[in-house]
Amino acid sequence: MADVLVVENVVKTFGALRAVDGVSLSVREGEVFGVAGPNGSGKSTLFNIITGIPFHADSGRILFDGTPIERMPPHAICRAGIARTFQTETDFETLSLFDNVKLGTVYGHARGMSEEEQRRVTRETLEFVGLGGDHDRPAGDISVFDKKRLMIASALATKPRLLLLDEPASGLTRPEIRETSALIRRLSETGVTIVLIEHVLPLLLTVSNRLMVLNFGQVLTEGHPKEVVKNEQVIEAYLGKRGDHGRDAA
Amino acid sequence: MKTLVRPPVIARALVLIALLAVPLVVEDQYIRHTLVVAMLYAIVAANWDVTLGFAGIFNFGHLAFFALGAYSAGMLTKKFGFPTWTGIPFAALVATIASLIVCLPVLRLKGIYVVLVTYAFSQLCYQVILNQTEYTGGTFGLVLVPPLEVFGYSFRSAGNIPYYYLALALLVVSTVYLHFVIRSNLGRSIIALRDNEAYAISRGVALARQRFLTFGASAIFTGAAGGLYAQYLRTASPDMFGFAFVTFTLAMLLLGGIGTMWGPIIGAFVFTFISEAMIDLKEWRWLIIGTLIVVVLRFFPAGLLSLVEQIGERLGRRLQPAAPVPAPERPGSG
Repeated sequence: MADVLVVENVVKTFGALRAVDGVSLSVREGEVFGVAGPNGSGKSTLFNIITGIPFHADSGRILFDGTPIERMPPHAICRAGIARTFQTETDFETLSLFDNVKLGTVYGHARGMSEEEQRRVTRETLEFVGLGGDHDRPAGDISVFDKKRLMIASALATKPRLLLLDEPASGLTRPEIRETSALIRRLSETGVTIVLIEHVLPLLLTVSNRLMVLNFGQVLTEGHPKEVVKNEQVIEAYLGKRGDHGRDAA
Repeated sequence: MKTLVRPPVIARALVLIALLAVPLVVEDQYIRHTLVVAMLYAIVAANWDVTLGFAGIFNFGHLAFFALGAYSAGMLTKKFGFPTWTGIPFAALVATIASLIVCLPVLRLKGIYVVLVTYAFSQLCYQVILNQTEYTGGTFGLVLVPPLEVFGYSFRSAGNIPYYYLALALLVVSTVYLHFVIRSNLGRSIIALRDNEAYAISRGVALARQRFLTFGASAIFTGAAGGLYAQYLRTASPDMFGFAFVTFTLAMLLLGGIGTMWGPIIGAFVFTFISEAMIDLKEWRWLIIGTLIVVVLRFFPAGLLSLVEQIGERLGRRLQPAAPVPAPERPGSG
């Protein structure tokens, strides 16, 4: 299958810290590509530089469908077909659930839709992620789980070909994680390619086709999820070396 | 911050009917004059709310759009001899162009720097107005601006009643316009950018384009009101660029309820009349107004409109004592 996203040797530094240090990866069309790694390993920074929000990479190339996007304005990257969610619950708190999602249908892609079509897509998207009921509630008033789903809905409303999910399960209860896992599978079935950052390993292992582990801004390993988690280096990065209690792995 | 708070339709209709009836029942020219001024302030404050309240941009150059509207209408008709009816449309055009110019540096700035740059723009206009004495009248202001005349009919006839209705018409059109702007996709994107800029951009909203549209949208009727102001009072004064004028209008916005459609309009009427009623108190007037602002903002941070809303809710509850109170709905299944 063709590569939807190709990242080549991207670097992002903050002063002396190399948050992303020469990362390369390629994501195939239709797959769920998992990204794991300890805190501060550069996972979210990788999402930031792919989408240009809030910054671009210092160097390296990023190709989406073969087109370089590393210097494209962030709103244009969204319109080109890449949508992301954020690690913390993010919303337009004073707008209704409906308007939160409708914004994506209006501005999120190059092709214009009629008002009627925008409203239909908005309703369908909200229902797809499981947010039925009253869509006129302000987004600031809903639960954490609903906010996470609302954020996914607003990303979906932009009709992305590539969806970047940043820790969609963090802070959720077990039943909610199960629902999120089912949602990601349903998303994947629609044909959208997904890159998934997650700390909740069972979720990551169940839904990912391939898994990459980052540590200190570099790719530690990449491969089939079941094999990756058995990798000695990965265990070390998460838990530290056997008998090496002095060193902070994160 | 609520964005769609509004008084019930019936209240709005009654106020409009009352305003339409004023010239027919009130013979006092002074009350009519105060109402004209209040209506013009209401237009300026409500349009300022687009940038300051709905977009959350600390735009302190808004009153410059109003002043530029007044000067441009005055200069076009007085110095260049254009027909007086061209004054108000020209004022709207000049104010809109000015708003797009001031928007340029704002695109790259945030917070306090936006205040500085927008206010500096206002002061720059002030200096230009002072220096171009030949066209602007300099420190004396532009006086004897030709009054509005359409097909030979002077708006000064019948004790300025035509001006009253023109100001009312402008207020109604401006309010309907703002209603559609705020409820449109543009309006939603303006609020989205205020709520979370990075998130809005990540959903495809083009920041620069929306900022230009926001500034332009807020300046059209502000400029038009400035043009009408100059033709009504027959003068445009450099004081219109002053900080006193900014704080006066800001007080209307804060008192009425920032980030709401109707708050600034209510604020403009209340504030203009309170201020006029206390005119004999001289300097004490400002002390009392200042205290009033502090008290209102302390107890009703969302402005007077929220007070009106609370009273409305209480009355509503009292009128329907038997109605069951619906249990708060649990959001979603999570």
